[in-house]
Amino acid sequence: MKYLTYILRNARRNPVRTGLTVASIAISMFLMMILTSFFAAMTEAQSASKDFNRIIVMNANGFAGQVPIARVRQVEAMDGVVAATPFSWYGGKYQNQRVLFAQFAVDADKVFDTLDEYKLPPDQLAAFKAEKSGAVIGPKLAREYNLKVGDPMPLQGDIYPVDLKLNIRGIYESPRNTDQRMVLFHFDYLDDQLRQLGSSSGGSTTQPSSAAGNAGIIFVKCKDAASTATLCKKIDDEYRSTDFPTRTQTEEAFGQMFSEMMGGLKDIVYWIGCAVVVSLLFVSGNAMAMAMRERTTEVAVLKAIGYDKKLVLGIVLAEAVLVAGLGGAVGALGSKALFDVVDISPFTGGFLPFFYVPWSVALTGLGVSLFLGFASGVVPAVIAANSSVINGLRKVV
Amino acid sequence: MIPFKYNVRNLRVRWKTTLMTVLGTALLVASSCILFGLVEGLEHSLKVSGDPLDLIVLRKGATAETTGGFESKKADELLTLNGIARDGDGPLAAKELLNIPAAERVSGTYNNLIVRGVEPASRKLRPDFKIVAGRDFESGKGECIVSRFVAKNYKGGQVGGQLAFGEKEKYRVVGIFTAGGSSAESEVWADLKDVERNTGRDGSVSCVQIRAAGPEEFAKLRKEIEDGAQFRLAAKPEAEYFATQSDVSTFFKAAGTLIAILLTFGAMFAAANTMFSAVKSRTREIGTMRALGFSRGDVLISFLGESLLLSLLGGALGLLATLPMSFLSIETMNGNTFASVNIDFRFGFWVMAVALTMTLVMGLFGGMLPALRAVRLEVIAALREL
Repeated sequence: MKYLTYILRNARRNPVRTGLTVASIAISMFLMMILTSFFAAMTEAQSASKDFNRIIVMNANGFAGQVPIARVRQVEAMDGVVAATPFSWYGGKYQNQRVLFAQFAVDADKVFDTLDEYKLPPDQLAAFKAEKSGAVIGPKLAREYNLKVGDPMPLQGDIYPVDLKLNIRGIYESPRNTDQRMVLFHFDYLDDQLRQLGSSSGGSTTQPSSAAGNAGIIFVKCKDAASTATLCKKIDDEYRSTDFPTRTQTEEAFGQMFSEMMGGLKDIVYWIGCAVVVSLLFVSGNAMAMAMRERTTEVAVLKAIGYDKKLVLGIVLAEAVLVAGLGGAVGALGSKALFDVVDISPFTGGFLPFFYVPWSVALTGLGVSLFLGFASGVVPAVIAANSSVINGLRKVV
Repeated sequence: MIPFKYNVRNLRVRWKTTLMTVLGTALLVASSCILFGLVEGLEHSLKVSGDPLDLIVLRKGATAETTGGFESKKADELLTLNGIARDGDGPLAAKELLNIPAAERVSGTYNNLIVRGVEPASRKLRPDFKIVAGRDFESGKGECIVSRFVAKNYKGGQVGGQLAFGEKEKYRVVGIFTAGGSSAESEVWADLKDVERNTGRDGSVSCVQIRAAGPEEFAKLRKEIEDGAQFRLAAKPEAEYFATQSDVSTFFKAAGTLIAILLTFGAMFAAANTMFSAVKSRTREIGTMRALGFSRGDVLISFLGESLLLSLLGGALGLLATLPMSFLSIETMNGNTFASVNIDFRFGFWVMAVALTMTLVMGLFGGMLPALRAVRLEVIAALREL
């Protein structure tokens, strides 16, 4: 510990170099935090959904397939099911613009029992249930478009050939790592319009998946964790030999499916992360080597007055770890703090419904930078420890 | 003017430091270049997908062919319109039907694939449609052709294999096609009749692709399809349509720019670090040069030049490192359609621009402060320095 002052003084001796090394590591760490958090935050949110014991029923052939609406009631009647609601992607336009917030047709009576971490004041919930064209929206969406309870929210169909004239009856509250930009509205409101259209124009909805009577997917709330696996199997077995076989999985697995779909994008992100780490190894190793070269004489003096190899090695390594660690702390913890305070989701146009740096990622970043410091210090430290005292004293730098 | 050779020799003498800096910055430049090469590839595929004389007909209100279905009856009438380009086999127009089933990758994960039911003319409506392995499919036999990336990434996607999407939808893969790098290269193509039957959607189409005989006919066709009482459909110029499908590209570009900016700063600091050390260890040299009569400007230019040379080496090496990437292609999800899209790395304007910008910024801004410090040295003090 008594050498700490010496190490600190050494690190501060060339403030420009130390500053540049710290800045270079901090910026690169900041970038790595953003890249890795993108997937880590998604994974964390998915595993958080485990607590809610929900399973999701979809057509075995993907989202484009149908799940008949009658199955919502059939599933709900099964043992171990608390509530179930259709969750049909409307994918419409707002103000005649394509938008990046999700709009779902749901069962108004059941949706807040199924998604029980989403909270809605009782009066708003009652008003939503009572009005067929009522809608509930997320708090971020309300802020972004400056919408209040009571405002109309007309949506134009894209997948569906019908428009919706919704009225906002409530704004839900939900945990941070959930989608706070959804629009939820009555399934019946959409379905009735589709039925009328079907009978009047002889079936102008030509894609069966956008015809009336399709639940899209079904969100099912189970009684407890134990019943989720058995229910998944039971539901799939039940519908196996029908026209619309299903694939039922836990909410976590359903979410994972989306990140799996990202496929190669994930690899690219990791490659870039690796390239940045290797590059930083060169950069900080270089800085440390330069620092040591300037101190050749000094190291020789240290050794001349009796400091042994190990101590010299330790002092140099400690300095490298300190500088890199400082950079890592600024970059990793700084980014965590920044994204905890600033919500960047509006700037991504809804591509990211939420973004934050999980602790696991921030601490990994810090660990990586400490390792960087160690690895980049090894070569200069070994050189310094093995340097000859005579030559060092003779050398003029 | 201090000879440039001086700087070259200096970098060579301190070759270890130079090498470390060059390798470090090269990796950062290469990372940004790879991202922008992917942006480039994506934009290219969207650009070549749209022919200026092509119209894509969708249901009014629909923004994409994956969402815009309408009745087959209307589509048949569309094919008889005047003004459509023709060749020996008939009009250059085709009804197409899309389905987006989930498919299992070789890796065991799933993604959605676009299965496109096509008519013979569909092939002529894509740029450079070619069968590169196996043969084209025959109508009504449950056969399909796939793009190279489907063959590589998906179970049963190889020639001779079978792509099965549930009990009812199965296609035997008989060939592999390319289409000039257009967006069709992310798809599975099968016979329209087969897709209609397998999905139970006869009587409807997703879109109709039309090539007009000329610019005049193009405008007339467009008006007739949009306003004609029997149609009332949306006829979009393909080029315009594909431009609106580039959401993924916008995201890539934004993310790529952010990453490139951050990496540039990181690299800039690294270059500055090296140059500071270069200036410091050469204090006496600088004093000597000034004493010999070189002006402050000469010294500034010399050190900036050295910094630029250093970053140029890094930039060039980084750019060079992207060469083997021409074979890189990634498969990911298009946020618009929730379907698989294949992105090929493409070396072009964006990649060059990024490498050049990063190099210049790195060299100039990284070298500026050290160079200024060199300039400000007092001749006497500098000469006296050890």
